[in-house]
Amino acid sequence: MKELVATVKQVENIAENVWALTVTLPESAGEIKGGQFLNISTGDGSRLLKRPFGIVKAEGNDVTVCFQVKGEGTVALSQAKKGDKLAVLLPLGNGFVIPESAKNVVVIGGGVGIFPLVPVICGNKDKKFYSYIGFRNKNCACLLDEFGKSEKLTVVTDDGSLGKKNNAVNAYFEDIDNVSADLIIACGPPVMLRALKQKMQEKGVKTPCLVSLEERMGCGIGACLVCVCKKSDGSNARVCKDGPVFDINEVQL
Amino acid sequence: MANLSVEICGVKLKNPVIAASGTFGFGREFDEIYDISCIGGVSTKGLTNASRLGNPVPRIAEGHGVILNAVGLQNPGVKHFIENDLDFLKNKGVAVIANVAGSTLEDYGTICSTLDGLVDMVELNISCPNVRAGGMALGIKPENIEEVTALSKSNLKKTPLMVKLSPNVESIATNAKAAERGGADCISLVNTFTGMVIDLEKRRPVIANNTGGVSGAGIKPIALKMVYEAAHAVKIPVVGMGGIMSGKDALEFMMAGAKAVQVGTANFADALAMPKIINEMNGWLDRHGIKNVNEIVDTLQLN
Ligand SMILES: Cc1cc2nc3c(=O)[nH]c(=O)nc-3n(C[C@H](O)[C@H](O)[C@H](O)COP(=O)(O)OP(=O)(O)OC[C@H]3O[C@@H](n4cnc5c(N)ncnc54)[C@H](O)[C@@H]3O)c2cc1C
Ligand SMILES: Cc1cc2nc3c(=O)[nH]c(=O)nc-3n(C[C@H](O)[C@H](O)[C@H](O)COP(=O)(O)O)c2cc1C
Ligand code: FES
Repeated sequence: MKELVATVKQVENIAENVWALTVTLPESAGEIKGGQFLNISTGDGSRLLKRPFGIVKAEGNDVTVCFQVKGEGTVALSQAKKGDKLAVLLPLGNGFVIPESAKNVVVIGGGVGIFPLVPVICGNKDKKFYSYIGFRNKNCACLLDEFGKSEKLTVVTDDGSLGKKNNAVNAYFEDIDNVSADLIIACGPPVMLRALKQKMQEKGVKTPCLVSLEERMGCGIGACLVCVCKKSDGSNARVCKDGPVFDINEVQL
Repeated sequence: MANLSVEICGVKLKNPVIAASGTFGFGREFDEIYDISCIGGVSTKGLTNASRLGNPVPRIAEGHGVILNAVGLQNPGVKHFIENDLDFLKNKGVAVIANVAGSTLEDYGTICSTLDGLVDMVELNISCPNVRAGGMALGIKPENIEEVTALSKSNLKKTPLMVKLSPNVESIATNAKAAERGGADCISLVNTFTGMVIDLEKRRPVIANNTGGVSGAGIKPIALKMVYEAAHAVKIPVVGMGGIMSGKDALEFMMAGAKAVQVGTANFADALAMPKIINEMNGWLDRHGIKNVNEIVDTLQLN
């Protein structure tokens, strides 16, 4: 974990309201695992909190995140200029730990939840990925080249403008008999993860499943207890430090 | 290099920069980023007799120059702290200040006697809602402050007592005097200001608890005035905080009368905030030919 001042290398609009931001770190931040995230300042001292984003790509000292414009902070980041200095804290969280034994991995992602999944697919060449990715519409679709590295890619949209009109969870369950997965990994809005958990219970799917959660953060490193989620036993876990990746049965969604 | 060491009611700190309660946990996480033995002290996450799960999420929101939090005193309980975290902090060579809270008056007595002799200082958080005060914080009315201070002090035979004042009060000077009368060895201020942040589209407050405590850069001018007032109302030492983001901010608090400072929200904006603040203080003192940081305390000249 390092607090560094990074230099903006590129800011690129990759889909409607979605931007890819690449920054160059002054030194290596150490090993970065798929599903880990970073906290980045928005460049304006009046916004005291850094924003958390999944790390999509790490190459040398260049790190890329992709983000949807939501509020003031992401507006500012989308307007960052090459050469701007932004403070970053990284790498954060546990990331997706894919067991050696898992050979066939189902990937389910919705909306901005697809980003932390990209490095898992790109970084585990010995595994086969079966990806089910949902977007609002075709203008929101992005990173299809990266997801295209999957053994099989199913893209769906809320309005049917790209792929079938469906959501990512249903798309997987409609296809479930065609894939024998040893692991499911998922990231997306809370409604998507709840639907996934419910469907798995309904259909008696026992495949191990890892989900990546989001929560508003303070420190990002586990010190302030701002970002907690509820574990199944009623205790709290810190999304930033104990997560953001949890076993789906370990947390209340 | 100026001499930065300070002494507050018998406790020696290698420099006057202390991590503020609730923003630094028990120090372990920040120690993964830098060796925290370079800071003067750590005020722990607010401890209670029994463990607490805290409030529902979201627990944090943001405004211009400020943040708002309502963590609700999530903590593993004082015994867990003593068994699992105290030695780590002690081995780091930082002054260990146990920040404590209770929901009844008696809670404060119990937790103080549990910690007596084990930590360098006990800091009373009297800003949380309290049964005794009818759900209001004990830190609002001077008579309540004096009572909880006296009870806590009577349970601390070895460890000095710091009382942390709430800024959400009628007169900070009156409350500082009440803590002094109750037997406080020193006071710290400010705790957070009560506030609200609204999500206009959802027509709801952002945080689950609706209201929360405001901290960060934006509260500094208000905190500075309160620290000045408190420091001039009492004879016991004062530790100042509220929106300190830089070495200059820290020196301003000391100039206003604080013997040491605490740094909270700045740790979120920049995980290296405290070592940077210490360096900046050093740089400023060197540039001004000041050999000892204590020389700056209470040197403010009014217009
Ligand atoms: C571990 C993690 C990974 C994430 N990865 C991505 C990603 O790869 N791409 C992406 O587009 N988004 C991601 N998000 C969500 C992203 O952090 C928020 O959309 C962003 O912080 C919004 O900032 P803002 O200033 O535009 O919004 P505002 O609403 O103005 O932000 C106000 C405050 O709320 C916080 N906040 C608002 N929404 C969220 C949220 N959903 N989660 C956490 N904090 C929030 C902000 O960080 C800020 O502190 C991730 C969140 C987490 C926790
Ligand atoms: C997330 C968070 C948690 C806090 N928890 C506590 C606490 O447990 N006990 C306490 O006395 N103060 C707590 N505080 C208040 C701080 O210690 C400090 O008084 C306040 O934030 C003002 O300083 P700052 O502007 O430097 O943050 C908390 C503040 C924050 C931001
Ligand atoms: S954000 Fe501070 S503990 Fe997670």
